[in-house]
Amino acid sequence: MAESPRSDDERVSPSGDGETVAGTDREVATDGGTASGVDGRVSDLTTFLRERPRLRTLSIAGPPYGILLFFFAIPLLAMLVVSFQADRIGGAWTLRNYTGFLTSETYLTVVWRTFLISVQVTAIVAGVGYGLAYSIVRFSRRTTLLLLLVILPFWTSYIIRMYAWINILQSDGVLDSTLNLAGLPALSLLYTDTAVLIGFTYVWLPLAVLPFYASLTNLDGDLIEASKDLGAGPIRTFLSVTLPMTINGVITGIVLVFIPTFGSFITPRLLGGTNNIMIGMVIENQFKSAFNWPFGAAIGIVISVVVVVLLVLATRLGGGLFGAGGETS
Amino acid sequence: MSLLRVRGLTKEFGDLVAVDDVDFDVADGEFVSILGPSGSGKSTVLRMVAGFEEPTEGEIALDDVEIVGSPPFERDVNMVFQDLALFPHLTVAENIGYGLKQSGVPADERRERTERMLEMVRLEGYGDRTPTELSGGEQQRVALARALVNEPALVLFDEPLSSLDRKLRQHMQSELQRIQVETETTFLYVTHDQEVALAVSDRLVVLDDGEIQQVGTVEELYEEPASRFVADFIGDVNAVEGRVTAVDDGTIGLDVDGGEVSIPRDAAVEDLAVDDAVDVCIRPFQVRVEPTDVDDSAGDALVAGEFSTTGVVRSRSYQGSDSQYGIETDRWGRLSAEVRSAAFDVDDRVTVAWDAADVHVYRRDGEEPADDRDGGS
Repeated sequence: MAESPRSDDERVSPSGDGETVAGTDREVATDGGTASGVDGRVSDLTTFLRERPRLRTLSIAGPPYGILLFFFAIPLLAMLVVSFQADRIGGAWTLRNYTGFLTSETYLTVVWRTFLISVQVTAIVAGVGYGLAYSIVRFSRRTTLLLLLVILPFWTSYIIRMYAWINILQSDGVLDSTLNLAGLPALSLLYTDTAVLIGFTYVWLPLAVLPFYASLTNLDGDLIEASKDLGAGPIRTFLSVTLPMTINGVITGIVLVFIPTFGSFITPRLLGGTNNIMIGMVIENQFKSAFNWPFGAAIGIVISVVVVVLLVLATRLGGGLFGAGGETS
Repeated sequence: MSLLRVRGLTKEFGDLVAVDDVDFDVADGEFVSILGPSGSGKSTVLRMVAGFEEPTEGEIALDDVEIVGSPPFERDVNMVFQDLALFPHLTVAENIGYGLKQSGVPADERRERTERMLEMVRLEGYGDRTPTELSGGEQQRVALARALVNEPALVLFDEPLSSLDRKLRQHMQSELQRIQVETETTFLYVTHDQEVALAVSDRLVVLDDGEIQQVGTVEELYEEPASRFVADFIGDVNAVEGRVTAVDDGTIGLDVDGGEVSIPRDAAVEDLAVDDAVDVCIRPFQVRVEPTDVDDSAGDALVAGEFSTTGVVRSRSYQGSDSQYGIETDRWGRLSAEVRSAAFDVDDRVTVAWDAADVHVYRRDGEEPADDRDGGS
């Protein structure tokens, strides 16, 4: 017994001294006198931090907040500053970027269009996703497998999946040839709004299914039975029990779909063609082609504000507490 | 006239027969309990009556109308769930008014009837709270009110009291009885707790392993249990293992724990034949204990309709007004006796006696009859 700690000390030579000194001071370390060097060091650290609660909180919460500050808050602040500068970074201070954007009928039309598409996408995804989540929860035994299948597309790159849809939807693509074989007319869906809706629905479906699923699994099946027992048919039961009881999950899903759709530029550019512009594409354009970063930044700020307002409204509506990030893709 | 008529009710889940050919009736205004251990199929019976499960076979008629196949929301039956299933997103009043709203009762009448129900279950002024703000007992009352407000022909209970502590449970039992009488509603109550069932029911349906063991009043079940299971399940029982050695017109000879005894033929609930393994059952409260100095058990025969034997007290416990003794008898193995007297001590030698009329003999569970005389029918 007496020999083993000594041999430990010899092994962890440089820091060993300090550790043993600390160890003799503290009860924890004397209790665990037979602990190995690493364990001893960990318990010393725990004791050290236990006595300094503020330092402990900082060491745990610090890194994530640091990352958020550095990669999110500071860039956002930089964007805000730049959006008040004329033509280029470091240009004269001006409000022109905002006034120009907010008075341009063309841009506002694009924003309105983006809003409409986002609403449609969200509605479709919410409907399909809720049905899917509901069937997984209530009618299926292979829940894990089905959930895995739902998130499986995430294992492939977003861009690759979009190109796959181009392949399917283009004239003479997979869809049209299949219709052809069945003797039906071709649809040539690529570069239409329908194609954009299909692409978005496909991409965001898992994002909505997961929160829907989570809230539906927590729903007590007895409540459904109680409702039916009290004379409510399936539709009334859904509207007065199932939906209200899962509303937080529904709103989370809706927010998770609506926000990235509003800022999206890849899907509409690849599937929607030139006539189906969304606001995300305009912003991208200002940064990458027009090189008017301040103007792009201003649009970005406006859109962020719009999205935050919508998010707050949605949260109010559900009366729920959840923290969904207002990130755009 | 029977309000609920159940005939040949059977439910199979795959290979498992949860409910096996069950028949029973519930009369209008009656309080009937289905009593059975967990897994006996009692909840499945209730769920079939409510409409949550479809029977594999059989009929369920409510007021002479067949209800199998009609969905739960069309049946004139309301259920109080085991976990109560109160809607957490609605207030107490909204919970109670839920059924009325579904059947299109106007808001004014709904409010009035809800108020009356809150009074009935003694929760006046609780209407605006949410269920989570109430205690367990108060939640029970809300669940009861939510079922009763619809004035259903039949209210079903799926062990709702099992989560309450003993004192509250007893209080709720008497409340249930009061409300049942006041509302003149028919109650069908499912429970594994014989104490609850005996306390509240007019009649009991005892279920084991999906099959009905006995249907009857509390007294019938207690005094004339139709099977060893019922004897065991309703109240305590002494069961002494034995083997049939002789059967004649008036008596059955038994080999009990090495000794020979003979009992009246009508003590046997089932037909018995020589070599059948049996349990001889006697209720502890029917066993009398007297002091004795006699050292052997020569008098171990049936004398004037009474058995008596000697033994030694091995344990005792006070149970309020009664004392329970564990007695190692010379001929009948270990018996427990519940008597008024607390006069005996451990190691005291006593005489134990009981009326032959109180004895019931059952063929042992799971053992086939010694010959196949039943095979024909």
